[in-house]
Amino acid sequence: MVSFELLLLVSIAAGFVGAMSGMGGGVVLIPALTLLGVDIKHAIAVSIVSIIATSSGSASAYARDHITNLKVGMFLEMFTIVGAIAGASITIVSSTKPLYIAFGAVLLGSWIALLFAGHVTWHEGRQDAFTRWLELEGSYPDKATGTVIEYKARRAYFGAPAMFGAGMIAGLLGIGAGAVKVLIHDLIMGLPPKVSTTTSNLIIGVTALAGTSVYLMAGLINPGLVAPVVLGVVAGAFLGTRLLVRLTNQAIRRFFLVVLLVLAVEMLFRGLRGI
Amino acid sequence: MAPETKAELEMDELVGYILQVGVLLSMVLVAAGLVWERIRTGQLALDYRITNMNLFDFVVAELRLTLHGAFGPRLLINLGIITLLLTPLVRVAASMVYFIGFLRNWKYSLFTAFVLTVLTYSLFLR
Repeated sequence: MVSFELLLLVSIAAGFVGAMSGMGGGVVLIPALTLLGVDIKHAIAVSIVSIIATSSGSASAYARDHITNLKVGMFLEMFTIVGAIAGASITIVSSTKPLYIAFGAVLLGSWIALLFAGHVTWHEGRQDAFTRWLELEGSYPDKATGTVIEYKARRAYFGAPAMFGAGMIAGLLGIGAGAVKVLIHDLIMGLPPKVSTTTSNLIIGVTALAGTSVYLMAGLINPGLVAPVVLGVVAGAFLGTRLLVRLTNQAIRRFFLVVLLVLAVEMLFRGLRGI
Repeated sequence: MAPETKAELEMDELVGYILQVGVLLSMVLVAAGLVWERIRTGQLALDYRITNMNLFDFVVAELRLTLHGAFGPRLLINLGIITLLLTPLVRVAASMVYFIGFLRNWKYSLFTAFVLTVLTYSLFLR
């Protein structure tokens, strides 16, 4: 068993980097825990529990500011939770090597996405009949301009199956997969950036709970590990969001690009060569 | 497009409130449990697993201990973890109450019921 102090420190760092980068804590936490000698399945299980805490914490503020779209959240959660249960079930029966490789591949994918990240500009598109039937539209107060911005989502028929996939990645690897969810909201469903990030936060919590249920059933939840890690990640994420305002975007991005690449190579290496 | 109704705005606030209280309460319980363990034993080498229990078995077992006054660091930590796991579930349940009772939106009542059923079912599995 790894020492409590070390677990707490690593978790604070993971929560901090996760919040600053917007990638979530799991992406850093899981590789760090495996480096400390924690079994990867236990690392995934504890990470997904900590995600319930961090995502619910940030989702609460956005919901009360009326930015989150609860209908979009509820509709898409139907798909992410089923995906998460399927993904977590695969992890339970899988051997460890493929998990390292899958995690490395997701890290590498995030690295590429971050490297080529441009600003997706939001523009209003035509709403299709299905999405209108689902009432996926809304408005939110924009504090910067003091106006109320109205929007209509579209292409829910593509968004739903894509969300099943995002939920599956989340359950399989114990991460929030927030970046994937935001991409689906932005690119497929045409939600304004603010609505897409905040609504994805709401979805992540419920998705993580669905994944947790499978890990709980498999006996992979160890409170001795969960207690310091969840506390640490939440504390780190709190500090990270406070500092976010002070650091420039470019500095964070460069720092995170390096971290992601190192972790991706390390995880892939361990998966391919054996631990 | 119709502006959001009062009930919809209330639901946003209720959801935000549930999430905040749930996470805060669970963090306080876990932290208190850890501090207590440290004071009592002088170290923090907790290592135990929740095995052969689904969430509801776990809740029943811990509540029974609480009723018997068997307070201890582990009980606090376990109650904290239970609170954390129940937070999103309570949030979904509260949304369902709103969709059925106040918004009378049958489509979304059904969607929310599906989410609640799948989550509850999976948490009952063993």
